[in-house]
Amino acid sequence: MVSTTPIHIDALAAERPQPGTREVVFDIRDLTVSYEGNPAIRSVTFEAYRNFVTAIIGPSGCGKSTFIRCLNRMNDLIPGAVVEGTVLYRGEDLYGKDVDPVEVRRRIGMVFQKPNPFPKSIHDNVAFGPRVLGMTKDLDARVERALKQAALWDEVKDRLKKSALSLSGGQQQRLCIARCLAVEPDVLLMDEPASALDPIATTRIEDLMHGLKKDYSIVIVTHNMQQAARVADMTAFFSIEQGEEGHRAGILVEYDVTSKIFTQPSDKRTEDYVTGRFG
Amino acid sequence: MRITLQQDLDSLQANLLEESELVLRALRGSINALREADTELADEVIAFDDDVDRLYLKIEHGIESLLARQTPVATDLRFVLAVLHSNLHLERMADLCVTVAKLTKLAHGLPLDEELIEGFDEMASRAEEMIRVALDAFVRRDVEGAESLVDLDELIDRTNRRVVEHILELGGDPALREWGLRMIIVSRCLERIGDHAVDIGEQTAYLVTGEFREFTDASHPERVDT
Repeated sequence: MVSTTPIHIDALAAERPQPGTREVVFDIRDLTVSYEGNPAIRSVTFEAYRNFVTAIIGPSGCGKSTFIRCLNRMNDLIPGAVVEGTVLYRGEDLYGKDVDPVEVRRRIGMVFQKPNPFPKSIHDNVAFGPRVLGMTKDLDARVERALKQAALWDEVKDRLKKSALSLSGGQQQRLCIARCLAVEPDVLLMDEPASALDPIATTRIEDLMHGLKKDYSIVIVTHNMQQAARVADMTAFFSIEQGEEGHRAGILVEYDVTSKIFTQPSDKRTEDYVTGRFG
Repeated sequence: MRITLQQDLDSLQANLLEESELVLRALRGSINALREADTELADEVIAFDDDVDRLYLKIEHGIESLLARQTPVATDLRFVLAVLHSNLHLERMADLCVTVAKLTKLAHGLPLDEELIEGFDEMASRAEEMIRVALDAFVRRDVEGAESLVDLDELIDRTNRRVVEHILELGGDPALREWGLRMIIVSRCLERIGDHAVDIGEQTAYLVTGEFREFTDASHPERVDT
């Protein structure tokens, strides 16, 4: 006498991200990256969507950073790194012959774990990218806009000429975000952007991500699962697996809407990782 | 392996099982008091509810602290939510036993009907079985066992309907009327205990499948395959 059609009311359906209806920013197919012949990630296939925060989580050594660095060709700078498979950015092959890596990195900015401001003034840090790229028209207005977007303007507007190194760690990280934003990117990549910050500075970065995703698509690598749960629309879980030839490499285990990953993961390995029973 | 989290989860389940044992005692006590018209035993059942409430609060506080400190996710989160609901259902069952005990006291000295008392005995036995099945399925994460509660509940409902019909017949007898009116509520209480057991079964299904669903839907009975 159990109901034949389950009476199932999904009250949150309307609030849940709908990846299927979103524009794809990154379409990654069968991506394998090796360093001097040793695979770091193997056969990753994945789509990241526009105006979403996409989080990459997984244990140390699963290739999270390797993966995110492929999205703006940062691995080009590492000797011995070989990237196989395709990374389509808005339908175009990022690794195509005619693609200019500098233009790639303008459109796809990156923020690193440790804030790395130049030993220059706050203003010059933000103005650096636009100057290099010849975007010098209304430069002060551009700097102001970027600092406002990075929620730093009110704290620095009276000391723009001061050294960026005088800022706190959290402020320096927001300055690095402003530096990315000043060249009008489309995507922000963040590799553990808050792991060197205290909880209050972390919250500000997380709030900032919520605000920025209206205008940008964000991909974040984090080892902090609760951070992924708080900020991300979609979450990808990477893990390490031994391949047939004996090499251990990172693989994508599961990729889904964040709330699904943290309430009903489909894969046992994801379940074990998010519940803290592994890793 | 998060040892503290696992210990906290195990302790929640142990407390929930203990609470179900207390509810079974309250149910048995309330039905014995009714059958024997034993007001002293009825008072004991009423006082005993404090024990259930204490355990109920202990589980609530345990969940509050676990959520704040361990931030469970996935199966662990579903387990905690299922315990949160089931805890409330068990506490409500104990309250219904108190209502039966209070009605026993109010009906004391009134002429009664033996056939009806037998009906209540049958309902209480079925309710006891349902509580056991519900908790057993919960502990074994057994969806099929949990779903079997729907059939068991139908048996209680059927007895309830029979009891109510019998009471309506008694309505013609002025001497039995007051007792009968009070007993309609007793019957309703026992029937509700069965409903709460089904609700615990639904929590088991949620815990295992991750999907919220009602086994039966009172507002859309046509959806239910009978």
